[in-house]
Formats: sequence, C-alpha cells, structure tokens
Amino acid sequence: MALLELDGINKVYGEGEVALHVLRDVDLAIEERELVALIGASGSGKSTLMNILGCLDRPSSGTYRLRGEDVSRLSDDRLSEIRNREIGFVFQSFMLVPQLTVLENVEVPLFYRGLPRPKRHAMAREVLGLVGLAARIGHKPPQLSGGERQRVAIARALVNDPLLLLADEPTGNLDSRTGEEILRLFDGLHAEGHTILMVTHDTRVADRAQRRVTIRDGRIIEDTAVEPAGGKA
Amino acid sequence: MIGGKYAEMFALGLRNMRGYKLRSFLSMLGIGIGVASVIAMFATAEGAEREILAQIGRLGVRNIIINSVKPAEQRQDSAGTSWVLRFGLTFRDHRQIAATVSTASQVLPVHTNSDVVWEGSRRVDGKLHGVQPQHMRLLKLDVTAGRSLTEMDNLLFARVCVVRPGLLRELGWFGEPLGHRLMVGEQYYEIVGLLAEEEFTGLTQKALNVDSRSFEIYAPYETVLKRHGTTSIIRKSGAMEATDVQLHQILVEVDEQDNVLATARMIQQILEKFHPERDYEMIVPLELLAQRQKAQQVFSYALLAIALVSLMVGGIGIMNIMLATITERTREIGIRRALGAKKRHIVAQFLTETVTMTAVGGCLGLMLGFLADWLLRTSTGWSTVVSGEAVILSMGISCLVGILAGLWPAGKAARMDPIAALRYE
Ligand SMILES: Nc1ncnc2c1ncn2[C@@H]1O[C@H](COP(=O)(O)OP(=O)(O)O)[C@@H](O)[C@H]1O
Ligand SMILES: [Mg+2]
Repeated sequence: MALLELDGINKVYGEGEVALHVLRDVDLAIEERELVALIGASGSGKSTLMNILGCLDRPSSGTYRLRGEDVSRLSDDRLSEIRNREIGFVFQSFMLVPQLTVLENVEVPLFYRGLPRPKRHAMAREVLGLVGLAARIGHKPPQLSGGERQRVAIARALVNDPLLLLADEPTGNLDSRTGEEILRLFDGLHAEGHTILMVTHDTRVADRAQRRVTIRDGRIIEDTAVEPAGGKA
Repeated sequence: MIGGKYAEMFALGLRNMRGYKLRSFLSMLGIGIGVASVIAMFATAEGAEREILAQIGRLGVRNIIINSVKPAEQRQDSAGTSWVLRFGLTFRDHRQIAATVSTASQVLPVHTNSDVVWEGSRRVDGKLHGVQPQHMRLLKLDVTAGRSLTEMDNLLFARVCVVRPGLLRELGWFGEPLGHRLMVGEQYYEIVGLLAEEEFTGLTQKALNVDSRSFEIYAPYETVLKRHGTTSIIRKSGAMEATDVQLHQILVEVDEQDNVLATARMIQQILEKFHPERDYEMIVPLELLAQRQKAQQVFSYALLAIALVSLMVGGIGIMNIMLATITERTREIGIRRALGAKKRHIVAQFLTETVTMTAVGGCLGLMLGFLADWLLRTSTGWSTVVSGEAVILSMGISCLVGILAGLWPAGKAARMDPIAALRYE
C-alpha cells in the first residue's frame, strides 16, 4: 500500500464565471522512503497540491488516502492531529512566529502534542543540533539569516518525526550556497529513511530526486523515475 | 489540552501583552477603572451603611422614642391672657401608655430643662434632663466613674447629677469632678457620676434630644420636676419666650423585638387621640433599620448596575484590542493550525490572553480602588469600608468580563481557514 494516494483530485477556487480550476484530475501515489521532486512553473498549482497533501486544504473533488485512510471523512480535530504527528511541513516562506524564540518555535508542534516542557526542550534542542543551530536557540526569527530561518523551519518540521516531509520550495528564497546546504540536509534525511516531497522549479534541484513529477496548469504531465545523478555536488 | 498548560499560556499571554505595551495597558486601564469605581462605590455605600446601622443600634432596637415637637403654627393659649406656649407630651400620655400598652416593659418620662450652668462666673448653656434611673440603661448611658442615678434619688428628690467630662472642661473645672456641685439655673446639683465622652450625630442626636456639644446633665426625674417646674423662659434676642411642656420625651422599651412595630402602632393610636396637632414625633429604630436596609438594597442594585456598565465598557475595549490582535496575528494562527493546533487550542490561547489582560487590569483596579478609597476617606472624612465582598465581586466580574470579551475574538480566530490565515499578509 502506498503511503499516500491521490485519486482524481480537483481543486476549484471560486464559482461560475470566475471559477479557477487549479488542480485537474490529479492522480498520484507516493511510497514510503521516496524522495519526490514536484516541478512546475509558478502558478501551476504546486503549493495547492502540497496543502492538500498536508491536510491543510481539502480538494473540491476526488479522494486522498493517507496510509489507506480517506482524509475527507476525518474531523477537523483528527486532521489537526495528523498535521501534528504524521506530517512535517516546510513552508515556502518559513512561517515562523516572530515573537517566539527559535527553541519555542520548534517546540510548537510538541506543545500541541501535549508533551511536558522538559521533554519538549530536550527534543527541540536535539533537532536544532541536527540542523546546526544549537547556538542560536535563544534568538528570535527576525535576528536570523534566511538560511538559518529555513533550517529552523526544517527543524520544526522534523521534531515530531513525521511520516511525510513536505517542503515547498525550500531553497527558493536562498542564495545558491545556502540552498546547497539545505539540500544536503534533505539528502541526509532521505538517507535516514524519511519520505520527502519537495516542490521546486529548479531542475538542478530536481536532479537529486529519484522521481520527478511535473505539473502544468494543474495537470500532472510527467512522472518519471530518474537515475540518481551526481548525488553529492 | 493537558492541565498545567494554562500556566504556560498565561505566561505567553503576559509576553504578548508586553509586545503591545501601551495598547494593552490602555485597555487594561479601562477594566481597572471599572474595578476601582466598583470598589470605591461599594466602600462608600458600605461605610454609610455601617455608620447608620451603628447609629440605629446605639438607640436600641427594642426602644421606641417619642419626642415633643413644637408645632409649626404659634398657637397661643386659649385663655388669651397668657403668653405661654403649651405643647408636647403630657403626664397623661405617659400614664395612658404605661397603663394600656402591655407589651411595653418600660415607659419612662423625661423632662428637659434648658438652663444655664454656672461655675463661678463662667456660664454654659446646658440641658438638664430629668430622667428615670432605667433611662440610663435603656440608652446605654454608662458611667465611667462614680455611680448612675438610682430609684432612691427619685424618692429623696436628691439633687445629684451625671454629666460628661466635656461640660466640666467647658466650665473650666479641672478639679475632682465627683462630689463637685454645679449650679444649674438656681439649683445646685452634686455630680455623682461621669459619662463617657460620646459624640452624637444626625439621627441619634435628634432622637436623644442632645446637641453636638454634649453639655447634657442627667438628674433624677422627680427632682427636676419639683425644682424647675414645667414652664421655662428663654430669652431670645431681647424677646422672651415661655413654654410649658410637661414631658419632652417618653422612652418606651418593648418586651420583645417582634412586638416593636405593633407596640409603635398602638402608641401612635393613643397619641393621635390626644394630639391632633401632632406636636410629637415618634422614632422607632427598628423600623428605621428595616427602611434603611431596604433603601440600601435598592442602592446596592443601582451600584451594581453602574459597576456592570463600567466593566462592560472596559470589556468592549478589551474585545476591541483582541480583535485587532487577532487580525495582526492571523499568520501565527495559520502557523499554529498547520502545526497541529485544534480549534479549541486557539480558543484557549486567546481566551487565556484576554483573561490575563482583564485579571491584570483587575489587580490594577484593585490598587486604584484602595487608593480611591483612601483618598475619599482622608479628603472627605467619610467612613468608607472596602469589604471583601466588593473585592471578590469586582475581581470575579472582571474575569467574567474577560471571558465574555474574549469569546467572540477567540472564536473568530479558531474559525479562520488555516490556508487563508497562512496566506494573510
Ligand atoms: N485561496 C485562493 N483563492 C483563489 N485563487 C487561489 C487561491 N490559492 C491559490 N490560488 C490560485 O491558484 C493558482 C495556483 O497557485 P499555487 O498552488 O500557489 O501555485 P504554485 O505554488 O505552483 O506557484 C494560482 O493561480 C493562484 O492564484
Ligand atoms: Mg507555491
């Protein structure tokens, strides 16, 4: 059984004359431990698809099964739990809470999981060490560079050890050197056995993935497995 | 959410408030002023209530006091030949009440003479009250030195009296008071007892037929009547006014508190018959107490309504701030929802923030309230009392206001679509 399965997914914004068909009949299945690159031009519907996969948004039609479970039947509370425990989301624009410190930002998912404070501290510290930010724990996001913020966002996505890591253009806002560091981080996570879906419109980034899914105007037009090319650059 | 998390959210609330210091402070001030005004108003009301209750209590709840009152129109004596003004309670009234009102355990006549008190060449306008010995007990006129008046004094027409130290000071007598002889009018009275210094105000002053100077002299009833008679002449700015009043007061003690009102009605009926011109007034402390408590209750409701309105105004201010806060923090709400916050987590977060704000505002108000109370007490001389009830009530209401003011903004935050919230710029 695939980890996640999309079956005839459509997403329409608005109604009637102004209706905008963002996703059209999307079928997609992703197995555990896959590293998938989702490629497409800006506005092709990549983020919309990611949001549906992340149980943040609901499709207009079609079914989305996560580990065989039909997500559309789940309650709002259950969806919150899934987002909390099964999915790690790395947003396109970091999405850190500016009032909270780095450590507290990473602790947020653990807080909603209901873990006690000392446990949260320990787990957040560990994962921040993993992304090389152990020294910046007490800082607030506005004091950090773009690459550092991105790493905080990744640490936060990883802290609950999710089944599925969704990264929406994780290198989009970064210079190539920092981007490279971030990508290496993802390579490492993949090697550890995480399932990763990464949005990008940078083909060089996509080259590192085993599988490339190309989307245009809301349709999947290509889905190819690739030889693991260069690997480490 | 697991218990104990609220402490953390409370701390988070405090931190968020620090982020918007001035704004939070101003809206907390709204609640604070509400709480402070509640406390100050209740303190004033409570103080006034206690004062009046103390006065009524001083008069004795089982007592009924009837005083002679000079009628409004100057009615000359029917003979036309005399210029003596006759009015007020009579010996007959006293006998009638004593004989017919069975629930009265004591019916005590009082005759009062306004007379000049001499000490050498110094003179003071005093009031000589001719009273029965039990009078002193009923009105709690306890001697602090010497002895009180006795039945024997009455029988012997003894020329003895009980006074307050204030009178002696005014007369310039600083020697041993007991045994000292005072000249009242043309009669000598030997001081046998001293009363405590006590100041009467308002109601008690009127009921006890004394003035604020407390220059009253208590002497045996029979002595005063025999020696001074019932007629007195007062010189007023050259003209002379003579009055003939048999009794200035009748003091009734009722056997049981439950019988007080019925007894008062009975006495009223007797007096109405003999005094169509209503040259007397009746003071029933118990009745005043009941009236007072009823008025106080109405007053309390009015205060409560004002308090609620002012707290509501404060609450609206808080709600306004919370709505602005939620709009500003839309993204944060989206982030929290994306990371696994359930709707109720969002509600709890903003509700604790609101309650934190009102609770802090409430504490601020508490301090302001105590300050206002202190200012009122020292600047106006009112006897205010901050009651525990007022403190608990206002704090409770301000927390309730926090919850009510927070519910709608918190609900609004929880209902936001996570995606829309994340996309919010
Ligand atoms: N909430 C929305 N309401 C209306 N249109 C939307 C909404 N979200 C996305 N869209 C539209 O859907 C299209 C796809 O958006 P998106 O998935 O963000 O594209 P990508 O991430 O591939 O750049 C865009 O044209 C965008 O304007
Ligand atoms: Mg996008």
